[in-house]
Order: sequence, then C-alpha cells, then structure tokens
Amino acid sequence: MHGKEFFVDLIRTYFILVTFITVGILVMGSYFEPNARFGYEAFAAPLIYGGCGVLPNAVMYTRRELRIKELLARKAIQLILIEGIVLSVAFWNTDICSGQSDIVIGMGVCIFLIYVLAHVIDWLLACISAKRLTEELRNLQKTANDASCTK
Amino acid sequence: MDIKILKITKNQPERMEIRCHEVTEEIREIVTFVKSRQGQLTGVLEGKKYEISVLDIYYIEAVDNRVFLYCSRQVYETKQKLYELEEFLKEKYFLRVSKSLLLNLMKVKAVKPALNGRFIAILQGGEEIMISRKYVPELKKALKGGAC
Repeated sequence: MHGKEFFVDLIRTYFILVTFITVGILVMGSYFEPNARFGYEAFAAPLIYGGCGVLPNAVMYTRRELRIKELLARKAIQLILIEGIVLSVAFWNTDICSGQSDIVIGMGVCIFLIYVLAHVIDWLLACISAKRLTEELRNLQKTANDASCTK
Repeated sequence: MDIKILKITKNQPERMEIRCHEVTEEIREIVTFVKSRQGQLTGVLEGKKYEISVLDIYYIEAVDNRVFLYCSRQVYETKQKLYELEEFLKEKYFLRVSKSLLLNLMKVKAVKPALNGRFIAILQGGEEIMISRKYVPELKKALKGGAC
C-alpha cells in the first residue's frame, strides 16, 4: 500500500470512527450517567478518541500484500492497541477510578463494537464497489461482443 | 535480415513468410508475436504444440519463471514472458491483476470483495482469482474507459 492510499484510508476510517464514537458515548452516557451535563468541549471528545483510534492503523501499513494470517494478526494487534490507547486517554482525561470496573468493561466492549462496526461499514463499501465493478464489467463485455459482431 | 512487404489485391489471401537458414529463438519470437497479434498463442501441453485462441484463455500466470495459459479445461505452457504477453494482449481485454497474473476480462462473471481492499474475480468456470489491491485502480480505469 502506498503512502497516499494509506492516508486516504486513514481519513475514511477516522470519520467512520468519529461517527460511531459519538453514538457510543450517547449510548454509554445514557446508561451510566444519564443526568450528566457537559459544555461545548464535549464535542471534542469523539474527535480526540477518533484520532486515538486511527493511530494504531500504523500497524497495518505495509508495501507488500499481506496474507490472511498476517492480516488477522495485525488486526488483533491493532485492536489491542486501540483498546489500550483509548482506555489510557479516558483514565488520564477523566476521573474514572479503577474501582468503576463496570465503566471500564463497558468502554472496552464499546471500543470492540465500534471496531467491528467500522469493519462492517468498510466491507459494505467494498461490496458496493464490487457490485459497480461487476456492472461495468458486463457493459465492457457487451460493448466488446457487439463490436466483434459488427466487424 | 531483409524485410520485404508486398502489397497484394483484396482477392488474394494475406500471408507472411519467413525465409531463414535456421529456426532460431529470434525467429520463434517473431512468429509468436505475429500470432498473438492475430489473436493466437502457441501453448505446449505434454510435449505437443497447440495454437490457442486468445478468446479461449481465462488467465495467464507466471509460476517460477514459467508462464502458463489457463483455458477452461487445459493448462498450456508458453515460452513468452508475462510482460511481453501483457503488452501484446492489452487490446484483447487482458489486464494485470497481480504481480504474476494477467486476467481475461471477457471471462469474468462477477467481482466480489476480499479482505483489505482486495477483490476476487469469479470466472465463468467458477474459479476465483485474487485481484491485488495495487492493481484495483488499473481495473477501475480499464472498466471506466470501456476498453483496456
């Protein structure tokens, strides 16, 4: 994968993550602290966590084509790094103490779900792209066949 | 070697004749080139030579410095290099889809996604070919352009 391609991928992943993190905060906040009120700085949280979430994407950078096993291993490392970084930022930034294990577990599960959802979205986009390629391929075959018939 | 081109009338059949002292590797290359331009390739199967129409080839793969032509039932070996075939077959809807593979777009039934930005081409016979991420933009370009 070339640098430019990797960067475009990173940007796309970032915006997918920001969207899901916003939803995650909404769901988790409504459950754990429904009465909490925040200032405008709260809008920065999904952007910061999204940024933290894309940093471990560096693990996926390579110029050569990865085999399935290598890919899955790197994905697992990526998920562990995301969990580690986001939880560290959350603990450092807020006053969540280690005694609140339900919040920690909740955040861990939420990060995992966001990770899976981001990949599902990525897969759906690839499916749309594949469908378009198939249609274009059929058009090309039709045009080529028509051309060979008129020769 | 002298080259002589003779214009003939429409009612006479076109033909190319090579007069040589010996059929060298160079002569064979010229013959292969002309045949591929005409839509035919020479393939070897069990020691016998066959003329294969480009239209019958599903894909061409290089394995350990040997190049193979994959048809619906048979696999033939060819003496030509993959990059030479890529050049010759550009206009015949063949496209490089990985480091070692040229795919005949006319034999692809559908495309489906694979992991990590790659795609899989499902051929008319049901065989699946991996389209490397690096070559996906080339494929998109070829399909959008309507020709290779």
